[in-house]
Amino acid sequence: MTAPRPLSLLCELTYRCNLQCPYCYNPLNLAAYRDELDAASWRRVVGEAADLGVLQVHVSGGEPTLAADSALAVVEAAAGTGLYTNLITQGTFLDDTLIDRFVGAGLDHVQISIQAPEAELADRIAGTRVHEQKLEAIDRVMRRNVAFTLNCVLHRANHDRLEATIALAERLGVRRLELANTQFYGWAYKNRAWLMPTRDQVRHGDAVVAEARERLRGKMEIVYVLPDYFEELPKPCMHGWGNAFMTVTPNGTVLPCPAAAAITTLRFENVRERSLQYIWESSESFTAYRGTAWMPEPCQSCERRDIDFGGCRCQAFAVLGDAGLTDPACAKSPNHGAMLDAVAAAPATEFSPRRIIATR
Amino acid sequence: MSAENLRFAPGVRLRRENERVAFLLVPEGVVELSPSAAAIAELIDGEHTLDSIAQTLAERFDAPAGTLHADVAEFCESLRERGHVIAG
Repeated sequence: MTAPRPLSLLCELTYRCNLQCPYCYNPLNLAAYRDELDAASWRRVVGEAADLGVLQVHVSGGEPTLAADSALAVVEAAAGTGLYTNLITQGTFLDDTLIDRFVGAGLDHVQISIQAPEAELADRIAGTRVHEQKLEAIDRVMRRNVAFTLNCVLHRANHDRLEATIALAERLGVRRLELANTQFYGWAYKNRAWLMPTRDQVRHGDAVVAEARERLRGKMEIVYVLPDYFEELPKPCMHGWGNAFMTVTPNGTVLPCPAAAAITTLRFENVRERSLQYIWESSESFTAYRGTAWMPEPCQSCERRDIDFGGCRCQAFAVLGDAGLTDPACAKSPNHGAMLDAVAAAPATEFSPRRIIATR
Repeated sequence: MSAENLRFAPGVRLRRENERVAFLLVPEGVVELSPSAAAIAELIDGEHTLDSIAQTLAERFDAPAGTLHADVAEFCESLRERGHVIAG
């Protein structure tokens, strides 16, 4: 099939990060990405993406402000051609000078994540004392002319603090709050048994969010990312593989989904060797699961195949070892029991902090 | 919200590419707009109310104001639900 127009580009500038959150979706082999693209290369990537039709550029990592020159280059290049720019950061390096440079470069939106509403728990999850710094960064962003979203990733250790997280957002005057249940990829998959919420937590969380949405209507928008291990239908991952979204990783590898590098049965191309246009339109990795022709049953004959696109290829690979199978999050998958088993499994008492470990 | 002027929330932008193609750029993604949705979105500029958007479009397209008003209200309310449009 012919390639559709890509709309969004995620630039993962570096996998370096001073935090060690166990729910990170970055790959386990972080050290393999140390040879990072420089600012000039990122400018070129943004230009090629704009030529393909991309309208929105997300700047993330790792912690993108640890590659501040590249981050500013991406925002300048994207905003310069009218594209929408979004900085996804944990905020600990966002001082007055840096945020002013981003806003001056034309940044549209900032997302800062917190780990929990209180410093003690938040710092335990992050593996370092950063909560107070984050609150200062949030204040700095909110006093400037740029849109802001507060984000908190949910899991068993902070799910019970949901009311307090919403209350903190209210206290800060946040207009947009994203409460995202952990997606189990990379480090999060490794730590799945520690992170997995209980059924009671998920039920309670649904009710808390529904009540808060009603009460805060018109004042705060709450984006709630569902825990797909607890759902009957899979998420429409990336709105389809190779359909609207692409990710460029720190070393220039291009992925159809931010978690796709874990799929060892595919070979991914690099912007150092190939044009973004070739990679998007013709590469083996982007065409492998584009459209619906690749789909097995029960997807192939499913009336929802153009709605949820068979779910997530990375999840099928992580859980089942085959990226070409129906996402086991779907209740119609013959392998759905693997998800129920993971939910019912005994919780782990410890987690592996996200760290860059040199191999070899 | 019919008496209040409507505008896009911070971080929401309309992007028109040509007569047929327009997008709403929002913090978490890109929303493709139908030509009629784009015509409404262009009047969400802080200068128009729900009523005046419907009236303007009724005159421009020579359409009955009643049905058009319902369409405009439904579209604007869906954007407000998602926090993309604010009143006042």
